[in-house]
Amino acid sequence: MAGLHRFVLGITRMMALLGGIVLTALILITCLSILGRAANTALHSDLVMGAMPGLAQALIDLGVGAIRGSYELVEAGMAFCIFAFLPFCQVTAGHASVDVFTNMLPRGANRVLEAVISVLFAVALVTVAVQLYEGTTRKMSSGQTSLLLEFPIWWAYMASLVGAVLAAAAGVYMALLRLFEATTGRIFAPNAVGAKH
Amino acid sequence: MSNLEIGIYSFPALLLLIFLRVPIGLAMFVTGFFGFYLVMGSTRLPLAQLKDLTYSTFSNYSLSIVPMFLLMGYFATLGGMSKALFKAAEGWLGHRKGGVAMAAIGACAGFGAICGSSLATAATMSRVALPELKRYGYEGGFSTATLAAGGTLGILIPPSVVLVIYAILTEQNIAKLFLAAFVPGLLAALGYMIAVSIYVRVNPKSAGVRPPIPMTERVRALIDVWPVLLVFIAVVGGIYGGIFTPTEGAAVGALGTGLIALLNGGLTWRTLLDSFADTARSSAMIFFIVFGAAFYNLFLARTRVPQELSNWVVELGLAPITVLAVILVIYLLLGCFMDSLSMILLTVPIFFPVVMALDFGLSPEHTAIWFGILVLIVVEVGLITPPVGMNLFVINAMDPDTPMVQTYRAVLYYVASDLVRVVLLVAFPAITLFLLPG
Repeated sequence: MAGLHRFVLGITRMMALLGGIVLTALILITCLSILGRAANTALHSDLVMGAMPGLAQALIDLGVGAIRGSYELVEAGMAFCIFAFLPFCQVTAGHASVDVFTNMLPRGANRVLEAVISVLFAVALVTVAVQLYEGTTRKMSSGQTSLLLEFPIWWAYMASLVGAVLAAAAGVYMALLRLFEATTGRIFAPNAVGAKH
Repeated sequence: MSNLEIGIYSFPALLLLIFLRVPIGLAMFVTGFFGFYLVMGSTRLPLAQLKDLTYSTFSNYSLSIVPMFLLMGYFATLGGMSKALFKAAEGWLGHRKGGVAMAAIGACAGFGAICGSSLATAATMSRVALPELKRYGYEGGFSTATLAAGGTLGILIPPSVVLVIYAILTEQNIAKLFLAAFVPGLLAALGYMIAVSIYVRVNPKSAGVRPPIPMTERVRALIDVWPVLLVFIAVVGGIYGGIFTPTEGAAVGALGTGLIALLNGGLTWRTLLDSFADTARSSAMIFFIVFGAAFYNLFLARTRVPQELSNWVVELGLAPITVLAVILVIYLLLGCFMDSLSMILLTVPIFFPVVMALDFGLSPEHTAIWFGILVLIVVEVGLITPPVGMNLFVINAMDPDTPMVQTYRAVLYYVASDLVRVVLLVAFPAITLFLLPG
């Protein structure tokens, strides 16, 4: 059981790290785009255009400028990141909650509460994943594309769906784990605490 | 039951779930779902909303600031910026009465300028400042309370994650909100330093004495702060100068702090992956609450509760300032047990229309910005209000020798300083608004 938990933690952490890598890529794209935009403005300036019009025009023609559709990339990529982050948050009980009042309840009651909440969470995450799947198929059949880069929107939905499905699986796993903990009285994962923010 | 009644009854239902420790995002989602079901008579509409709502929330361009700022905060810590800030502040302030505590406040303010989260600021600065405070004979509870309060500067001084969320909820300009938060943030730092000096005079044994250090060393320490200044100027200057959007600013900041941490040797594969994991956890938590709130607010808008409530309040004919005072007190009470972000997401969609319907003698935009800054401050007070202020717990846990009660006692000075500031800002909106153009 402890081995299984380590495995699940490992998988979800990998997914979160993948999200982190994508986040880094988005940061780099955004910064490159700013640089390009600044360079493009400089090349278009009277000073540069007057001093070396040929070179300036050549560089502009080469595509020195803001990265086309970098906003769209950030939006699509960020959705992927957040969905990729969710499973890790789920299995490390990272969600913010208020435990002032339940701390007064006896331990057994808290265990049961924890189990009920995690089942509720599992249902919610499965619903979210199923509906995102529906949304994906709808975007697929509508053929809607992004404004500037004109990539099909369903690609972005599909990428997000990977994380959403894993989050749903993580939700179900945690629900089973909490039920198991509540019935056996043993603890495998730390209880939800006031999350960092 | 009318739709309006369903909307009204959803509040106690939601609060009950939250008090039963249901994660706040989940509680809002569940309440919204059942509310929708009761209003529409079927689950078709809420399910249809879900087809796009998660994606559209998570892909919101303005919200993508949040993970970037979080990552930036972790990189700033790895880059040794917290240490440099504290050393400089300590060099200049440390020899005064209560000076090391003042230095901790000053360093928190500096770190707040490159970090948008209050717990991160409090935790980071504590690692640097707590040992020093102990070394110079500062009382345990006084030290932990100082850092817990100083941490709130992380959110008061821009960039600020909470302000980003407020801006999105109320469709205000993020850059203008950051600008407006600036003077109140500095006032907060000043107020906390005054609280320190009052505390050490009332409790003379609470702080030791530290001899002044030579001027050359002070200047050197000040020069070591350049990376913080560089990042701050690049990010904030770029946003205000119109060179880039706030999201682009956050990307520049994250890259900048990352490079500095790399040069300092603080950023390795291991720490990079840890930063990713921490960013992942915090971002997922924040975005799930944002999603839950978005869903709940869709339901609420359908019941017309926000409009009806603001009509009702206007018809009561109370003085606008009375209504504002009541709202701020509600925030202070809620803040005793709920985190700032959840509070904002839960209440701003309800209170904002009420405030906007009242006449404070300000333009609508100024009212919105002024209210945003006030809300930002009162929700942060909640982080340090006994018995359950979250900063108090985090910092107290870092100093096992200090009993919680000692921290409680000392933090009251900072809470008092916060309350004085709120009254000032309510009485003089110009303090918040004078920097804004037009």
